[in-house]
Amino acid sequence: MHISDGVLPTYVTVGGYVISATLVAWSARKTRSQDLPKLAVVTAAFFVASLIHIPLGPTSAHLLIPGLTGALLGPPAFLSIGLGLLLQSLLFQFGGLTALGANTLMMGLPAVICGWIFQRFKGQKRMRQVIVGGLVGALGTAMAALFLASLLVTGGEDFLGVAKIALLAHIPVIIIEGTVSAFTIGFLARVKPDLLRAAFMPASKGTNA
Amino acid sequence: MPDIIHTPLWQLPLLILMPLGCIAAVVIYLRRLAHRKQIPRGEDPDWSVPSLGDDTDATLLHRWDVRAKIVTLLVYSFAVASLEHLTPSLFAIILSLAAMAIARVSVARVLLRLLALSGFLGMLLVVLPFTVPMHSGDTVLLFGEIQWLSFNVRGLLLAVTIAAKAVAIALLMEPLLGTAPLPVTLNGLARLGLPEMAGQMVLLSYRYVHVFLHEARRMAGGMRARGFRKRTDLHTLQTIAGFLGMLFVRSFERTERVYDAMRARGYTGRFPEQGEFRLQGRDMLLASAWILAGGALIAYDRIIL
Repeated sequence: MHISDGVLPTYVTVGGYVISATLVAWSARKTRSQDLPKLAVVTAAFFVASLIHIPLGPTSAHLLIPGLTGALLGPPAFLSIGLGLLLQSLLFQFGGLTALGANTLMMGLPAVICGWIFQRFKGQKRMRQVIVGGLVGALGTAMAALFLASLLVTGGEDFLGVAKIALLAHIPVIIIEGTVSAFTIGFLARVKPDLLRAAFMPASKGTNA
Repeated sequence: MPDIIHTPLWQLPLLILMPLGCIAAVVIYLRRLAHRKQIPRGEDPDWSVPSLGDDTDATLLHRWDVRAKIVTLLVYSFAVASLEHLTPSLFAIILSLAAMAIARVSVARVLLRLLALSGFLGMLLVVLPFTVPMHSGDTVLLFGEIQWLSFNVRGLLLAVTIAAKAVAIALLMEPLLGTAPLPVTLNGLARLGLPEMAGQMVLLSYRYVHVFLHEARRMAGGMRARGFRKRTDLHTLQTIAGFLGMLFVRSFERTERVYDAMRARGYTGRFPEQGEFRLQGRDMLLASAWILAGGALIAYDRIIL
């Protein structure tokens, strides 16, 4: 779920831009500069992946995959997500122009945290990677939902109810995201285990993680 | 104390269904219109391909310097987003409609943008009236004997105001950004201080969004041909996870080839610039007039109302 224009107070939207810009700069520094064009191509794949709809009873939910993005990319994930959201906002109007900073923060921070957790605890065994991947996938969405709720609450007490409902609505999505992430990590562990080492990191950081 | 109006219970479903019905009607109508304008569903307009018709000088907004355009859009959007009353927000929509008329933008693209907005705004329209806390002076509808549920007119007003602001900004995106090819817009952003690399990453990933969309559609077609149907079950999730994994494997493998191909064609970290920028007096004039309009809306919002 992306926040549209006109919901958040101005100090939150401006603050979101400032913090996001700082984190994007940090994320870009964590990426080898010759890898930036490659990161752009991978971002496109995540963008397309987030358009996939999964039927959920009578309705459907689209994937958010912040956890998976973080697990596969590591710190460059923040840059990737910022890029993806900029595209979504400019070209397809998912998420408002003024709320772009806040939206990037909401999806990017969980991704980076999840990436760190995944690299720290994934171990060597495939089963363990699947379980950690599933937990990270669920956690990423849960954190994004919490961020969404707290951002909405900055709008004042009027938005408390909306924040609660948004949080509740994310519970089935969290379960789906966790399951899909677990299966995806399992698939990658079988097909291309190299990808589970965070790509695009400076070599010294990438190998020991 | 809030003004309380008692209404019979049977009106409750009406008040939930009416906004839902309105949104559904608008969405269906927009889909129809977008369809009639010959843009197939799911086929987003591709701005990375420059339009063949030579329309660079078509209208006032096409001729406007892209840097002035971006700065104006940003400042004005923030001004509109910080409005607090409905009337100035409606004025902002009228201004956006005027810009659309001047720029003669494709109506279908604008409709697609409004469609993308409808989910979030629809949620607010349905939820806010029932969850906003009661203040003195509010008009509140109560239903029969139910105490825990009340319909607050102030919440509805708040939701409508937010929707108006979001629509006003969304309507502006097409006249301001769609009147120059994406590479030119990004070049303008780079001139304004955005690191050049960032603009090129946007361009590159935008190009590959379309490539991967095409690939995803092909893979989905193959899955359907083998009898796969989406349901709410574990098997569907497992299949979709395999689909995602395959998409990622292919994309990571493609990056190496793309990068090698780019370097083989002499890529050294920047694309050649398209077109020149000349900031003229009339560009500044238009920008200041527009930003002044935003200031006037805020003044009207904060001082007069």
